[in-house]
Amino acid sequence: MAGFLLRRLGVAIPTLLAVITLSFFMMHAAPGSPFASARKLPPEVERNMRARYGLDLPVGEQYLRYLGGAVRGDLGPSLKYPGKSVSKIIGQGLPTSLKLGVAALVCGTVLGVALGVAAALRRRREADHLATVAVLAGLGLPSFVTAPLLVLVFAAWLGWLPTAGLAGPESLILPVAVLTLPLLASVSRLTRAGMAEALRSNAVRTARAQGLSRTTVVLRYALPQATLPLVSILGPAAAGLLTGSLVVEQLFGLPGVGKAFVLSALQRDYTVVLGVVILYAALILVLNLLADLLYAALDPRVKLA
Amino acid sequence: MRAVLAVLAAAAITLAGCGGKPADGCPPGQRCLRAGNVSDPGSLDPAHSFVKQDQTVLNDLIVGLTTFDARAEPIPGMAESWTVSPDGLFWRFRLRQAVWSDGHPVTAEDFLFSLRRLVDPATGAGYAVLAYPIVNAEAVNQGKLPPTALGVGAPDPMTVEIRLRHPAPYLPAVLAHYGVVPVPAHVVRKWGDAWTEPQHYVSNGPFRLVSWRLGDRIVLEKNPRFYDAANVCLDRIEYFPTTDSISAERRVKRGELDLNSAFASNRIRYLTGRGRMGDYIRMHPWTDIHYLVFKMSDPAFADVRVRQALSMSIDRAFIARKLLGADQEPADAFVPPGLGAPPAAPDWAGLPLAERQARARELLAAAGYGPGRPLRFELKHPIIAAPVPTAIQADWRAIGVQVTLTRVDTAVFFSDLQLGDFQVGITDWIADYRDPTNFLNLMRSDQAASNYSGYADPGYDRMLGEAEASADPARRAAILQAAERRLLQAAPIAPVFMNPSHNLVSPRVTGWVDNLDDVHPKRWVCVEPQTAAR
Repeated sequence: MAGFLLRRLGVAIPTLLAVITLSFFMMHAAPGSPFASARKLPPEVERNMRARYGLDLPVGEQYLRYLGGAVRGDLGPSLKYPGKSVSKIIGQGLPTSLKLGVAALVCGTVLGVALGVAAALRRRREADHLATVAVLAGLGLPSFVTAPLLVLVFAAWLGWLPTAGLAGPESLILPVAVLTLPLLASVSRLTRAGMAEALRSNAVRTARAQGLSRTTVVLRYALPQATLPLVSILGPAAAGLLTGSLVVEQLFGLPGVGKAFVLSALQRDYTVVLGVVILYAALILVLNLLADLLYAALDPRVKLA
Repeated sequence: MRAVLAVLAAAAITLAGCGGKPADGCPPGQRCLRAGNVSDPGSLDPAHSFVKQDQTVLNDLIVGLTTFDARAEPIPGMAESWTVSPDGLFWRFRLRQAVWSDGHPVTAEDFLFSLRRLVDPATGAGYAVLAYPIVNAEAVNQGKLPPTALGVGAPDPMTVEIRLRHPAPYLPAVLAHYGVVPVPAHVVRKWGDAWTEPQHYVSNGPFRLVSWRLGDRIVLEKNPRFYDAANVCLDRIEYFPTTDSISAERRVKRGELDLNSAFASNRIRYLTGRGRMGDYIRMHPWTDIHYLVFKMSDPAFADVRVRQALSMSIDRAFIARKLLGADQEPADAFVPPGLGAPPAAPDWAGLPLAERQARARELLAAAGYGPGRPLRFELKHPIIAAPVPTAIQADWRAIGVQVTLTRVDTAVFFSDLQLGDFQVGITDWIADYRDPTNFLNLMRSDQAASNYSGYADPGYDRMLGEAEASADPARRAAILQAAERRLLQAAPIAPVFMNPSHNLVSPRVTGWVDNLDDVHPKRWVCVEPQTAAR
């Protein structure tokens, strides 16, 4: 176990380094400048701005400086929001993204498993058809379609929920619903397949033969088997949801990390982009590791080697 | 199925729990304005401000020697009165008794500190150029003189003196500009760049900064220490970054916002539909000129006949009135009307399109282009410029010119423009203050920062210099008009159309006055008290 963790850490650090390095040089190779706007700065002023942020140094030196700062937890200042640090921008956006992400993760998993189980138990009947429709809708419709549709119905026509902005818990309902759909779709598909297989397994057949009730058989014997594959998709899905969704945050005007990320990329706010990339990469590494550990805990056949 | 229900119930509880405590919002009983501001400001430090979003919020926070009334005309601000020497070069401002929002008095020292900081190249201020009429400002900004050499002085703590290089009748408007207004010297000395953090921020205007959460909202509250606080109606303002304009439109319609400072031109038909938002729409002539830039060092555009042909063959009326159609106006001149400049369109402006295009073909033929050797080039434009470039492309096709359109990110576009990586580009300019020189100076040969064409005409430069030096308004206007004619005839640029200001303002909002600068200090605005918290 300890050996496994150590080895994974040994892989994680070079991976993170590679991600930082690639992003750093790609960002700096992108055309455009953080200081370009309709009103060009006088050359002396621009030179001073570049010097202030160390952008006048050779790229290699900028890279080393950045890396040095990042190791100490200093992600530098934002180039577009003078006086705001990257850590602060991420720190301000993260709670909102986390809130949305956790809610969507819980809803998507719980509802997805429920739908998947129901579909597997009632194959080719209403519940199954309903699940199939939900899956197709969830997987087929991108969030930039579902979000405006939901807003149109629940905010514009029915007037039940606010259209956008962060104002009270009710303003999170639609964004969470939009984020939940795709996750619900993939979770229910995996669960349905796993459940169908589990119901045919020897363990379940034995349990049934012993006269256990249907509920006990499903919940205690079939479900744990069926949901095992979920663990491996939930890791990356969680990382994606927790760091925020650009489309949802943009359409609903929510102050999350996803929105900050894309806005920064468009404005060439190099430091903010890099900061979010590092956060995202680190989250993926950690959550994948967690998924592996969880897998081993749940499935006795899996050995951490 | 009972298990499923239990799980569902658990999920519902989790979901409800995720909402947390209600977010801050307008307290009931307060007069609270919720305004869409399109995006977050870049900075609330005047010296680092640069865009309209900064302007909107800074106008509510900080008052300069002068400030704006509801029509955006300069009126006395921190200065209660001023005198100008007969030659227009020496201005003396008498300060009123006023304090910053922390109780610290506003003194002449604040103004000296702020103006020196503005032009100090170490500050990297975008609007330092607005201070250039002040003696030595340009040299200081270029690092040739120390900031203390700037032509400002304070004979006593309540008097500010400014010495100008040339008469600038528009100085009161410049001093009210959001990039030039003062910063609290005692706070900036203490906190440096971090002074703009809400917990440190100190203002001297009608409102003070309470909080700023990026992507969420900026909250301002009435500043009880403001000298005219008795006449400020609003208790609180919340500014939202409404990056999605359709969503902003719905929020205004539903009463979640009281106004949004933009709507897209192509929404005008929908918005004016019966029972929609006709009484919310505020459109007014503005100073936003959209124009084409020809890169003169490109062999294709070295010939004045080619540039003239391209400029005269554009169907500006179609672009402004049919294609855009939300009160846009065709632009033949570079200086928008309303800035006190006599009209100065080029000689072809009055001709019908067919005649202009026939003349354009002749000019192109004379320059050596024709069906056998068509003129080919690339028109580069930012994404937001669509669909105008397509219409221009069609107009030019009609005179036998083959144009490829390239659309790029806004950040890439301006960087390319500045690096000279383009042949023809389309960009715009909005007046910083109401004076023709704010536009005409862009094309001076020594203004590499804004003269993307690389237009260098010593005659034009001399005329602008003469106009600047002149203290006689009539003579000044006449020279500027002649200079603009000369510019348009040489056609390093081709004005295309003027954008009006586009605001969606709820009928609940009072005191909103549409004006040429699209500047609306909230000091003059009011709404009914909030009935329920939102």
